[in-house]
Amino acid sequence: MGGRDATMVLLDKNGIRCDGRKVDEPRKIMIRAGGLKNADGSAYIEFGDNKILVGVFGPRDVHPKHMSNTDTGILRVRYHMEPFSVTERKNPAPSRREIEISKVIKEALEPAVMLEKFPRTAVDVFIEILQADGGTRCAALTAASVALADAGIPMRDMVAAIAAGKVADTVILDVNNEEDQAGQADMPIGYMPSAEKITLLQLDGVLTPEEYKKCVQVGVDGCKLVYELQKKALNDKYFGNKGD
Amino acid sequence: MGDKRKYVIPGDVVTTGPFRPEQNVILDGNNIIATTIGISEIYDDSVRVIPLTGMYIPKIDDLVIAKVNSHTSLSWELDINSCYVGFLPAQDVFGRDFSAHADELSSKLKTGDLVAARIANFDRTRDPLVTISDRDLGQIDSGELVEISPSKVPRLIGKRGTMIQMIEMATDAAITIGQNGWVVISCESPEGLLKAKKAIQMVNEQAHIANLTDQVKEMLELKGES
Amino acid sequence: MASTSVIDELKRTQILELLEQGKRVDGRALDEVRELSIEINAIPKANGSARIKLGDTEVICGVKIQPDRPFPDTGDKGLLICTAELLPLSHPTVETGPPQPPVIELARVTDRGIRESHMIDVSQLVIEKDKSVIGVFADNVVVDYDGNLFDACSYAATMALLSSKTPTWNWVDEKPVLVEGEEIQLPIMTIPVSVTMAKIGNHIVVDPNGDEWACMDARVTITSDSDGNICALQKGGSDGFTLDEIVKCGETSVKVGAQIREKLKAAQQGGQ
Repeated sequence: MGGRDATMVLLDKNGIRCDGRKVDEPRKIMIRAGGLKNADGSAYIEFGDNKILVGVFGPRDVHPKHMSNTDTGILRVRYHMEPFSVTERKNPAPSRREIEISKVIKEALEPAVMLEKFPRTAVDVFIEILQADGGTRCAALTAASVALADAGIPMRDMVAAIAAGKVADTVILDVNNEEDQAGQADMPIGYMPSAEKITLLQLDGVLTPEEYKKCVQVGVDGCKLVYELQKKALNDKYFGNKGD
Repeated sequence: MGDKRKYVIPGDVVTTGPFRPEQNVILDGNNIIATTIGISEIYDDSVRVIPLTGMYIPKIDDLVIAKVNSHTSLSWELDINSCYVGFLPAQDVFGRDFSAHADELSSKLKTGDLVAARIANFDRTRDPLVTISDRDLGQIDSGELVEISPSKVPRLIGKRGTMIQMIEMATDAAITIGQNGWVVISCESPEGLLKAKKAIQMVNEQAHIANLTDQVKEMLELKGES
Repeated sequence: MASTSVIDELKRTQILELLEQGKRVDGRALDEVRELSIEINAIPKANGSARIKLGDTEVICGVKIQPDRPFPDTGDKGLLICTAELLPLSHPTVETGPPQPPVIELARVTDRGIRESHMIDVSQLVIEKDKSVIGVFADNVVVDYDGNLFDACSYAATMALLSSKTPTWNWVDEKPVLVEGEEIQLPIMTIPVSVTMAKIGNHIVVDPNGDEWACMDARVTITSDSDGNICALQKGGSDGFTLDEIVKCGETSVKVGAQIREKLKAAQQGGQ
């Protein structure tokens, strides 16, 4: 956080952001369900310049056995960035940031996945960031939800995600890389649309109580937009465009 | 699509009101909510969703095609294309007088062998018990194994078996369909075998289209295609 | 990998029976490669990238180019490092954690294939001798597995490097400084192509798919360059080849390699 590029104008006098968007406009999003041959379920998402692939296996046996739970299945999530996904080549070994994001995404999905139906098994979600440009964890969570549905894993609801934030004292929707680096706040949100529950929430930056409330509202509304695209992705693959 | 059936994804409200939730739906307050991608059905006083994807969950009396993973001196472990592994006790094959000393399991079934089996018993707390002791069950020593999504099996069988019979008659193949999505095709002619494989893949990939039966029939009637 | 999954005996018998008749389960000839699809610039923000599909095996290679320190004994050469990683979403048997020996072998064989062919003239990648050079990293990730990762990674890395654009740096005040707007092709000297052959029983097949990989007795990966010279080779598997078989494999690899090379060149032209 903190201004890296002091010359970048994050919001001009016409209310246009550094990449030409309006304050409540998300980047271009494309979601595709399926695509991998070996995974039980998969999804691919392009969220602005983010390109993310998710593969799901399960429910399946847990090894070593002592890690399994006799009452319920467990969910394991691995968020991993390819060395070529970021500006400076990244070492393939998992970083602390990736480990934290893996945990946060896991906890965002757990309320939705009906793990109690499969005791002693695990559902594995593998997230691969092919190209990163701000908001990868939200895009990843969105795609993971589609991949889980694609795998036929029983879920109470989908989980859709997007980040709200603040630049130039204005609340915005869908924070890109420049806005994340040089802006004033970044708030990733994950939301279950039918259950109306927020299952992922983090904040980086400073918000007044009013701004905080607005950010959450803007974020939740943004998640509903993302959810429509998740529906479309599943409709396209399974219903041949005959679904609603 | 009639008004009693709807395409749904997880989280969709199928209906509200005093219905009994059956497969792949849950009751949340007054709402009946779908838990998988599929087609919802409301009949009498209950609601269910027929899944369009998902792995095989064993049911008692299901016929499955299984692959031998390994064995101990007392039983075989079978891969049934599920997160649950099939348990086949030695007595099922050797009979009551089975003796761990005298009878060697690999003389009857070894790792990699395919069998047609039936789920004898299953509750979700332990692996399913499997049997191969009926007449239509046992080791499969010829034919080709093809895999489809278990959720497509009903479509491959068809109403009262019409789809699979159509494929068998058009290709002269004998096809054994496991509820677990594994299918064995036996055919004298390589052309018939390839056609049967193609027909089965068509059903697997296009189960959602309305006139699938006609499309498969058309493909089977084409001469000389492979 | 797939060597740990149980290939059903029926499939193995089928594969052998068909081979006796000179045929393969998917209808290919013994020296025929699967359908190869190539997409360059799959990762636009990387310096170069390619997505390769060899049948149902899929590999993405991304190239990152940045200033680096040279190795102590080669201050007049840039760095060229190729890696390969098997992603857990590519196959149910792939585990997370530190790479296992087969994946380490895959990475090192891919790296040697590119390096030993002298595909890139690393002496042209120097910013300031002994102090600063250009480091080129070609990282392969396997996204879907259906046999023959050696060739898929070789083609992905080769295509990604062929289509890469490297920035230019000047040495100013003991530091490499980026020159804006000066991006050029890497110094490409030759186009290496690897061809992997599997021995199943007494038969040799080119580009084994997942099932053939699971029941092969031995394999050999041979890399040749644009002049038809053989520049890298790796034999693997728990059986052996006869002298005649190995010589024949060498000839096959050059012949099939030339065909693949034409496809790679066409893809590079198509992208320009």
